[in-house]
Amino acid sequence: MLVLAVESATELAGVALADEVGVIATAATSRGRQHAESIAPSVKFVCDRAGTPLRSLKGVCVDVGPGLFTGLRVGIATAKALAFALGIPVVPTTSLEVLAQALCGAGAAAGSLLVPVVDAKRGEVFSACFRVADDSHVGAVQVGHVGAVQVGEDLVSSPEDLAGSLSRLGEPFVLGGDGAMRYAEVLGKLPGARLASAALTNPPVEVLAVIGVARLGAGLGIDGAQIAPTYLRDADARIHWEQRLLPASARER
Amino acid sequence: MIEWGASGVTLGIETSCDETAAAVVIGGGDIRSSVVASQVDVHATFGGVVPELASRAHLEVLTVVVQRALEEAGLTFQAPEVPAIDAVAATVGPGLVGSLLVGVSEAKALALAWGLPFVGVNHLEGHLFAALLDHRDLPWPLVVLLVSGGHTVLISMEGPGRYRQLGQTLDDAAGEAFDKVARFLGLGYPGGPAIEAAAASGDPQAFAFPRAMLDEGLDLSFSGLKTAVVHAVRRSPEASNADVAASFQQAVVDVLVAKALRGAEDVGAGGLCLAGGVAANELLRASLSAACEELRLPVYVPSLAMCTDNAAMVAAAGWFQLRQRGPSPLDTGAQPNLRLPLLP
Ligand SMILES: [Zn+2]
Repeated sequence: MLVLAVESATELAGVALADEVGVIATAATSRGRQHAESIAPSVKFVCDRAGTPLRSLKGVCVDVGPGLFTGLRVGIATAKALAFALGIPVVPTTSLEVLAQALCGAGAAAGSLLVPVVDAKRGEVFSACFRVADDSHVGAVQVGHVGAVQVGEDLVSSPEDLAGSLSRLGEPFVLGGDGAMRYAEVLGKLPGARLASAALTNPPVEVLAVIGVARLGAGLGIDGAQIAPTYLRDADARIHWEQRLLPASARER
Repeated sequence: MIEWGASGVTLGIETSCDETAAAVVIGGGDIRSSVVASQVDVHATFGGVVPELASRAHLEVLTVVVQRALEEAGLTFQAPEVPAIDAVAATVGPGLVGSLLVGVSEAKALALAWGLPFVGVNHLEGHLFAALLDHRDLPWPLVVLLVSGGHTVLISMEGPGRYRQLGQTLDDAAGEAFDKVARFLGLGYPGGPAIEAAAASGDPQAFAFPRAMLDEGLDLSFSGLKTAVVHAVRRSPEASNADVAASFQQAVVDVLVAKALRGAEDVGAGGLCLAGGVAANELLRASLSAACEELRLPVYVPSLAMCTDNAAMVAAAGWFQLRQRGPSPLDTGAQPNLRLPLLP
């Protein structure tokens, strides 16, 4: 069951090809923020390297955010188009879950709490809490989830507000993601906090691919038409336009 | 219709501003389908296109729009079977970067999945082709007046792909002036149709608005006109919107027609052609046609659907470009400030 994963929620733009045995090929670039330029060539690259034509794909797994709006749209447009063109289902996964499963796979103990944090820019972060499920890890796939189970919703907040919530948890937790790295001063020194290695700055596309294979195998792929980004935030532009335009819109007389 | 000696089928995608569009065109001139999903409702309350909202809306509807365009062209397919098309073309610029990225990403993925060439199209070149889609045996050079919300340029077209710029606006695009004046008058958005509707019952001679740079070269300017409208309304608060709109519209059209005719005369054009969203304005269409008839100069006024942004023009330009310059690389991104490729 060959699955193509498309990851573009943060500054990493990556594509990976995987099946039940594991990841077959991967291509990722970071910090360039040129998702549109690199995703399509990466799709071609991983398929060529694996000697697999695109039409043998059985599904696409895509990170639907939260994250960089533009990056998300590039990845999701690509996933929706591939799904439509090839007649295959899409598995949507959030950036926070990909990070949590990666933290889980990096050796978090059963029962421990994971807090992935994605930089939302403009002084805010996206975050969520996950707990490592008993007797499971990235290699041992369960139906519907892969090891870490989300507890509570995806949130957008200031790093300070997140720090306030985390300081009231009363138990140790592992932080990961570019938001945790950027605001390490605020979040990393909280009691019980442990910061994951810098290798977990961005959601790893290989982990996304493994999640995709598991979910697709469990029949959790859906029609690409139903896929949309998780923005978690109103369009900034909308706010600015409302302030800028509305007062001038009416002719006074 | 231009004969390009081939019958390739091109799927075109257009997402540069606030229309999500897809179309199927055969051989660069035979439109089999042209689907346009307008976002006017999304932006109307803001009096202009809000880029982030435009990008969001494009992503929501683009795949459905593509599917409809293929269906309406009779190109239903059962994946993994590939629909009977030969290329996928998408606008890469100029336009709003976030909006362009949605169309470019979608088009590249479709091309990859189906093993077809991808062609990145210049939106302005698309508009030039739109004007030619309905016509055969065009007399070169053609002078094209391209007027829209984002652009106001006068081009001498020596053939498909061979362009010289004769003049351009030095400030606002004509369509932008319509939007700004409509917003100032409280007429709503989009400004072109709003001004046109209000002007219908107004006196175009009620106000003597300036015709900027009428006798100087082929460049244009509309910011002074916009300011004149503001001053006039403040001086005569009792003036009706209809009279202001009609006088404003007349001033814009007078300048556009004068510049287009002078451009045609300067290059010895075989004909004059209108393109872009503002080319949907009835007064402009009628005035330019009448002026050209008087001069016995052939005039080509595209259908309303071919004036506003659409994907048929992108498919047509894309097919031409594929034959002349080959496919575009897969690492093509959005080019928000792309300019028309001009002859040296
Ligand atoms: Zn346009």
